[in-house]
Amino acid sequence: MSQSLPQALLQQSQTRGAQAALRYKQLGIWQTRSWSELAVEVSRLASALHQRGFGARHDLLIISEARAEALLLALAAHWLGGSVSLLDPAVDNRDLLPALAPDFAVAEGLEAVGQLRSAPPRVLIFLDKRGLSTAPDKGLVAYAALLDGVHAEPPRPAVNATTHAFIFPSINGLLRQELSHRDLLLGARQLIDVQGLDNHEQALAARVFATSGQARYLLAPWLVAGFCLNFPEGLSTRDNDRRELGPTLVLGTRESYARLELWARERRPLPGSLSHVLYRWAMNPAPGVLRRWLGHWLIRRPLLDVLGMSRLSKPLLVGEPLTPQSTAFFSALGIEPRSLSAVANANVPADLPASVSPQPA
Amino acid sequence: MNAVAPSTLLALDDISLSFKGVKAITSISFSVAAGEICALIGPNGAGKSSLLNVINGVYQAQSGSISYAGQTRRRMRPHQAAEDGIARTFQNIALFKGMSVLDNVLTGRNLKRRSTWLEQMLRVGRAPAEDDEQRWHAERIIEFLRIHPWRHALVGKLSYGLQKRVELARALAAEPRLLLLDEPMAGMNAEEKREMSQFIRDINRELGTTVVLIEHDIGVVMGLSDHVVVLDYGRKIGDGTPEQVRSNPDVIAAYLGTRRSQSARSQ
Repeated sequence: MSQSLPQALLQQSQTRGAQAALRYKQLGIWQTRSWSELAVEVSRLASALHQRGFGARHDLLIISEARAEALLLALAAHWLGGSVSLLDPAVDNRDLLPALAPDFAVAEGLEAVGQLRSAPPRVLIFLDKRGLSTAPDKGLVAYAALLDGVHAEPPRPAVNATTHAFIFPSINGLLRQELSHRDLLLGARQLIDVQGLDNHEQALAARVFATSGQARYLLAPWLVAGFCLNFPEGLSTRDNDRRELGPTLVLGTRESYARLELWARERRPLPGSLSHVLYRWAMNPAPGVLRRWLGHWLIRRPLLDVLGMSRLSKPLLVGEPLTPQSTAFFSALGIEPRSLSAVANANVPADLPASVSPQPA
Repeated sequence: MNAVAPSTLLALDDISLSFKGVKAITSISFSVAAGEICALIGPNGAGKSSLLNVINGVYQAQSGSISYAGQTRRRMRPHQAAEDGIARTFQNIALFKGMSVLDNVLTGRNLKRRSTWLEQMLRVGRAPAEDDEQRWHAERIIEFLRIHPWRHALVGKLSYGLQKRVELARALAAEPRLLLLDEPMAGMNAEEKREMSQFIRDINRELGTTVVLIEHDIGVVMGLSDHVVVLDYGRKIGDGTPEQVRSNPDVIAAYLGTRRSQSARSQ
């Protein structure tokens, strides 16, 4: 049984090497990476980081939205026994950065590089080169260039289960959170059992990378169950991407479900029209096989297609429960989001050190 | 005749243009260095758009010559200008409104295609590989200008600001060395202007494209341009850096109207 996230990755690469592990959109085209390709790239990234002095005592600070390169770099840092701190690029982190004093950092683009000027790291990897061709920052290296310079064989992946895999620094009054490999793997196995996840799922990653929910309920289960993780192209394209992909597994918060519900409500037929009457008729729970069948094929199924939820079988909900209005809307569509609070409370065994520590002064 | 400096991409020498006896441009000379952003400013009717049309060959000047990329010509031809790497956008949006953003941008790649129409129609020979290549180039521009969320949307259904960006994308898809922008920010609000200015700056810095633009918003022009040429009644009245132009008495007079009111008083 895997002791660390990189070990879980290697295990997937051995058992289902050719199966799709990751899908992301690049220049408008969906790109697919298999488990074996992923393992090779992570090991090469680990070599590259190792060549630049990254080791087990180091932390890799990532300021990025959810994108494949950021995820692979995180796994490469784990490979070398290091930890990964995640910060949201949409937040101004400049006050926090001097205290973190990162030696190694990953910045999604120009804005994140700008934030890191308050605490310049020794090695700064950027993912989007726009505006950075003439940047004066020392130690700046492009993701592609990082892979080009790899010569040595990668070291063996680290196996210390109690090492912190992800750290979520305290920001805006939220508690600092530390998740070890063991926390994540145990939680993932429990989630897979409880929710019946398997390697056939098509999961859609949320755009915000820097959340513990994403690490616990999506990244770790992805590595353990071996399903395919899909990244939307961007925040503004996520609805379109969901429609194109038709995921079977989504992880959302009350706010993300409410946003979808609002999106659908804004587009429903205008009151007074025949279409509106038909919509109301189909969305109201009512007895009768014929009514249910007609309502499904005339309204609910097309609406599910538009929402990209027609194949959704595991709608997961993290955090607060849905509003009654959202609950009624999704329930009418046959979607019952499953709250993960119970799993969240149960997934940290009592013998482990606390994964949530109070905010240091 | 002006000597063309080695870093000069475009040089206009003594260009004059008239329509049935009405002089639109009178003896204008200026040059644009490779890699700069040059703004043409001036009141309505100053001859700015006519000058852009002379540069890309839509209008033929009655006198003078144009040097572009080391070659001096008496006149440019539109097709030749496009093949030589001059692209432009228009004051009024000129897009295919019933086509998607992606298809509009792909039309900007037409000159880059090498397959014959028969190969394209039957999708044989060079056509399939070329389709992929053209799509890749178009998508790069679409992402660069951040219009990817609308790549499959019909252009006619987009906001005015987005349509302006699509037009810019189509011009960029041709991989121009010289980009002519005719009032790219006309009708935009302050936020849209700020965004468009940033895109123009990025095009210049990241893609290395030389830009000649017409713009009425002096604040935007002064912040964006390396070089400003001021026209009034078809004549050049200022040429220099934004600072030089800002302190030029003729330009101040033309913009504040003092010269005309003085001459009116003296008559």
